[in-house]
Amino acid sequence: MTKVLIAGIGNVLLGDDGVGPFVVKVLESQFEFQADVELADLGTPSLDLPLYLSRAKALILVDSAKFGGEAGAIRLFRNRDILQNAPRTRIDTHSPALVESIALTELMGLLPRELLMIGVQGCGFEPGSTLSRPVRQCIPHIIDAVRRELDRLSVWCEPKLNAAAPRIWWDRVISAA
Amino acid sequence: MTSRITIDPISRIEGHLRIDAEVDGGRVSKAWASCTMWRGIENILIGRDPREAWLFAQRFCGVCTTVHALASVRAVEDALKLQIPPNAQYIRNIILIQHALHDHIVHFYHLSALDWIDVMQIPKADPVKTASLAQSLSSWTRNSPQEFKSAQDKVKALAASGQLGIFANGYWGHPAMHLPPEVSLLGFTHYLQALEFQRKSNQVVAILGGKTPHVQNMTVGGVGNAIDLDSLGTLTMDRLTMIRSLIDEVIPFVHEAYFPDVCAIAGMYPEWFDIGAGAKNYLAVPDLPTDSSASQFDLPGGVIFSGDLAVVKKFQTAADPDFRAAVTEDATHAWYKGGALHPWKGQTQPEYTDFQENGKYTWVKAPRYSGRPMEVGPLANVLVGYAQGHPLTRKWTDLALGRISAVAKRNVTVDKLQSTMGRYAARAIRSAMLADLAVKHCELLTDNILGGDVATHNPPQFPKGEIEGVGTHEAPRGTLSHWVVVKDGKLTNYQAVVPTTWNASPRDSQGNIGPYEASLMRNPVADPERPLELLRTVHSFDPCMACACHTFDPDGREIATVKIL
Repeated sequence: MTKVLIAGIGNVLLGDDGVGPFVVKVLESQFEFQADVELADLGTPSLDLPLYLSRAKALILVDSAKFGGEAGAIRLFRNRDILQNAPRTRIDTHSPALVESIALTELMGLLPRELLMIGVQGCGFEPGSTLSRPVRQCIPHIIDAVRRELDRLSVWCEPKLNAAAPRIWWDRVISAA
Repeated sequence: MTSRITIDPISRIEGHLRIDAEVDGGRVSKAWASCTMWRGIENILIGRDPREAWLFAQRFCGVCTTVHALASVRAVEDALKLQIPPNAQYIRNIILIQHALHDHIVHFYHLSALDWIDVMQIPKADPVKTASLAQSLSSWTRNSPQEFKSAQDKVKALAASGQLGIFANGYWGHPAMHLPPEVSLLGFTHYLQALEFQRKSNQVVAILGGKTPHVQNMTVGGVGNAIDLDSLGTLTMDRLTMIRSLIDEVIPFVHEAYFPDVCAIAGMYPEWFDIGAGAKNYLAVPDLPTDSSASQFDLPGGVIFSGDLAVVKKFQTAADPDFRAAVTEDATHAWYKGGALHPWKGQTQPEYTDFQENGKYTWVKAPRYSGRPMEVGPLANVLVGYAQGHPLTRKWTDLALGRISAVAKRNVTVDKLQSTMGRYAARAIRSAMLADLAVKHCELLTDNILGGDVATHNPPQFPKGEIEGVGTHEAPRGTLSHWVVVKDGKLTNYQAVVPTTWNASPRDSQGNIGPYEASLMRNPVADPERPLELLRTVHSFDPCMACACHTFDPDGREIATVKIL
């Protein structure tokens, strides 16, 4: 079984919404992990999420978030913070599905006890845009947050020697347009 | 007295769908469906290489990733008149069947069952009685009193904790909820079991597609899977056997849990076969091609007008000449420039006003077929098949109608499927058919490979000059079509006419209302503060706004506002 699933959530064609998948690509290209760590760009899977949430012993999720901070600010959420919100969050698009999926996985008794959601405040979500400058600049901080969590879970992760630049196809193609 | 209800957003997933309804004397008298987010995503594709368009297309929507990938490669193949090898057809078919089964199961249990099941009644159920009821409905192996007791304990624990969590938003105790507690417990128990079978369906997609949720094996001209029965890392006999055994595990859940559950619940809400009819024009495209040239299909397509099942126009090909000619998108009441245009001439130029109920009020254009609004989805699929005498459609539809009629103690005919509950029944009928067809296509693939054919790809060649193509797919939510124009090997136009665009379409230049809007007319509303009946009808279409994004919002807000006019 996967020990830790590090998953990016969001739509890569919609600017800062794609920060989660972007971070996953950076992690994949720049770091080595112990064998039972899985990285996944999950897109916006809505209620398909329990399939992925239930297959690891610990979860680290990266998603864009709206908490009224400055663009590029990060806020960390744990199981309890998210489950408390379940009652009032059946709102738009994949965000209610994140809360609803976590609550559903919990109901089924399959939610890992260790869950960290790294929420990143975005500012631009136009179709066909890439990450905004403030969100791009905060990526090292997001990666630090992921590494601190892995450390806390006693999971090995080290920078790769001679790492190649990440290959983020949507960023390359959208930026060229 | 007239009250005005605004539900924004109505979809629990992937969309900014807003519904406005005027309620007069307890019934809806006017309705508007509005998508509150711009669908301009196709513009990203202009100027790109048609061979990589599918990579972007599968990011249109996070739930229906594979369906957009498939429609995209089919559109380019259509423009090139490029046939694909039989193995590629079968591999694509197995993927799309498994995706559809997964999607239909999620729709029924996780997105809409709790519109019908009152969770707060579950603690009152007797698990032993539930088991004997369940065993009278089917031979599903996981209908023991212990299974029901364990599911019931989860609800009791939540209720005792005072924090309803995932259930805190439901319309419990609503007068339109009237299932016996045992039936509620039965449906809820299968709601908990469903995840395991979604996982197995998803594993099949992952084995063939390389990974999920974004498959990697699509390619213009076929699929990227290498087949070599002796070589690891390719599609081997071991993997084919694993796919078959996963399929064999999913089928009993579809045939013995999902299908009987829908028939039982539908039979207990027979009044919902008289509500929510909608546009009564139906469109479905043929799918599951069984040969290279896509001349034979396992799912039939065609059109029906005015609810008349005696007259059906059958489509012979995936993009029938009638279909190519008849489709337009009308922007009269949508926030775009332009009137009614054919998709190859289509434009996506925004012209935002505000919500103007007599003017422009949505980001969704109004697709029309020969000028008429069309309902798409499993109901269209089933009616078009039934009307042309398609044996597999008839077999499962007749079985469903028989079971529903027995529970309802009245004769529910195929005509009655044109209703809110009919859409639920049709989705279960289609799933039962797809479960049968999963086995067939797995066998077609295995037999073809054992016969020595390992081809999976015919390379595309792009001519100088301009070519046009359309790729269709009968997706879980209905007819999907991608329309491409390619000039000198680059895309010059790209339009995706998605199922929810057909169903959620606004009024057109002739004033015809769209299918959601039509289906809401005359809907009962017992309590305008808790418009459960409107949610039932809109959820029956399985709405999904195929472009939506948004962010985790820790505060949340209420979904319905009611104004008394």
